[in-house]
Parts: sequence; structure tokens; C-alpha cells
Amino acid sequence: MARTRGGGNGPQDADPESIARIRQVLIRAVERHCPPTLAAHREDLVQIALVRLLERPADEEIASRGASYLWRVAYTVVIDEIRRSSRQQRQAEQLARGEGGTPGPEARSEILDCIAALQDRRRTAVTLHLQGFRVGEVAAALGWTAKQAENLVYRGLADLRICLEGGDT
Amino acid sequence: MTESPDELARRFRAAIPDTDGESCPPAQDFWAAAAGELPFERVSVLVDHGAGCAPCAQAWSILADVRRAAAEGSEHPALLQPRSGHAPPRRARWARPLLPLALSGALATGVWLMLRPAPPGAPPVERGTTAPVVRAQSPTVQPAGEAVLRWSEVPAASSYNVTVLTPDLVVVHQALGLSASELRLPAAVTQRAAGSGLLWNVDAVLEDGRTVASPTFEVQLK
Repeated sequence: MARTRGGGNGPQDADPESIARIRQVLIRAVERHCPPTLAAHREDLVQIALVRLLERPADEEIASRGASYLWRVAYTVVIDEIRRSSRQQRQAEQLARGEGGTPGPEARSEILDCIAALQDRRRTAVTLHLQGFRVGEVAAALGWTAKQAENLVYRGLADLRICLEGGDT
Repeated sequence: MTESPDELARRFRAAIPDTDGESCPPAQDFWAAAAGELPFERVSVLVDHGAGCAPCAQAWSILADVRRAAAEGSEHPALLQPRSGHAPPRRARWARPLLPLALSGALATGVWLMLRPAPPGAPPVERGTTAPVVRAQSPTVQPAGEAVLRWSEVPAASSYNVTVLTPDLVVVHQALGLSASELRLPAAVTQRAAGSGLLWNVDAVLEDGRTVASPTFEVQLK
């Protein structure tokens, strides 16, 4: 699997400083957002993902498409790696418990029911916001102006709070 | 008074059920969504999926961090802006010299359409009534001790609901079922926000139960 560095147009040409920065950000993000069992292996997860990234064939054109494309590909490979690792953990736990199949239906939570009851645009805006997206980022994702996104996020949050306090949205 | 967005976010993430991850969308779809490359309907499906699937919720949250870091480190922040879908298409170079000509033509056509005489015998056109709009009528800067929010009346409104928030979107006051088109902010709210700003909006509740939502207004309290 070893490849000669610097000989083509592939990701192996990526600036080492960029890779180091991406690695650092991904490790921190996995640590922040993944459950402890996965977060404990954050460095391994990210390392494996970045190795996969660097082993990609040269026709990926990452170097020629710039730093933002490198971030994009790094994100997708690390998510794929997290999913793969989660699946393995789940299967191991199921085997240990002697279970099979997929997780059963979960009890619905009040907050998820309230979010599901929000009006479409407010629901999408609020969900993204609760996932960690700032108002400007919600606007960029949904093709809205910052003012529209701000309005929909906080109206949605207000509706959500009313619902959680027992009112209707 | 109410849960902060951070508390809501924690509660939300804790409630998302784990799944087997078999029917999850590919990670690149999440990136494309955040980059503004997908239509609203598709983004909405992806976001809704993340609200019911813990691994994808993690993928969304990681995405927010990663895109922010990428934007901070990018020498070309425009690379992270929407590239298609919502973004205006890039003009071809050959079209640039023609742009002033095209604009002049469009302007002339617009003026002609506005000023042209009505054709003889054309039937009168009944225009639809414009949708009611709520406008702020109180000053945007007010003394903290006596701040009053006022807005334009909506003719068919039976009552008004007002929500007041901090700039980081924490609700600090809600007034429901107001009959007048004004709200004097309680002292507890103005004291808390003195020297800073507040956001507020109004929902006019119509007699048939529909609501007319105002834009977001700001008020600075001195």
C-alpha cells in the first residue's frame, strides 16, 4: 500500500501543515461529539481515516482542488471510519449479549416530538442550530439570508420551548 | 427563565436514538448540504435524518466544527460558500462586456412596461390585497427604565404574541394574547439587558386563527 510521495497529483501532495491541522481539528471534533467508547479511540480513528485519505488514487485531484476540498474529503473519510468502528462495536456488543438484528424501536422523547412538530423551515433551522451550526452557517446551508435564518432559528427555538412547557407550537 | 440553546442542544443530542447505521446517507451529502449545494428539500431530509439517528447527529456536529475550522484556516473563504443550487451562477467571461448593454435593455423594457398606455378596451384588473405586514414603530434606542415596544396594527388581528430574546437567542420574555399593539418591557428584562440589545418579534393572531409573523426587530437599551 506504500506510495511514493510527491510524484503525482493526488492527496499525497497535500501540504503537511494542512494535514496536521486537519488531524488536530478532527481529533478534537471526535472527542467532543462521539460517545466515550469511540472518543477514547479518537486518535486511532482519525489516523486510520487520514491514512485512507493519503492512500487514495491520484485521480482524486485533491491537490489541484485546494484546501477546502481536502477538508471535505478528510471529513467524509473520518465519518466513514467512525461508522465502520461503531458498527464493529455494536456487532461485538450484540454477540456478547447473544442478540441479533438491529436496535429495536426507541421510546420517543419529548424534545424530539416537539422538534418533529415544528413547521418545516423552522424545524430544519432549529435542528441544524442544535447540531452546532451558527446562524450564518444555517443561512449558508439553506440558501437564506442571515436575517431569515436568524428569524427562523429563534422562532423555532421559541416554538420548541413553548412545546416543551406543555403548549402547542 | 427558559433553557439556553446550549441546554436544549445537550437535551436534544441525548434524546437521539442510536441506529444500526445501515440506511444513513453518505457523509459527502452532509458536506454538500452544509455547503449550500443542495436544494432545501434535500437538506431538510438529511437534517431530519440526523435528528433520529445518533451516528448521523454526530456527523452533523463534527461537520459544524470541521467547516468552521476550514473557514478559519482558509485563505479563500469563498471556497466554503455555496457553489451551486442557491448561489448565483458564475458569468462567463465573454458575457462581461455585454452586461451593461443587457442591463440598459432590461431597464428600458421595464420603463416601457410601466409607462405604456393601457390597450383600448382592456378589462379592469382587480389586484389581490397585499398580505398584512407588522412593522416596528418604537425607537430602536430607548432608555432601559422605560422601554416600550410598539408595532403597526394588523387590521384583522384579534391579539398579538410578543417574544423578546437576547442576541444569543435566549428567550427572556414572552407576552401572549395582547390586545394593544405595544408592550412595556418588565423591569427585570430591561435591567438584565441594560446597556445591550434585545431582539423581538410579534405574531399577530388573526380572527380565523392564522398568524402574521413580523420580521426580527432590535432594540438597544441605554
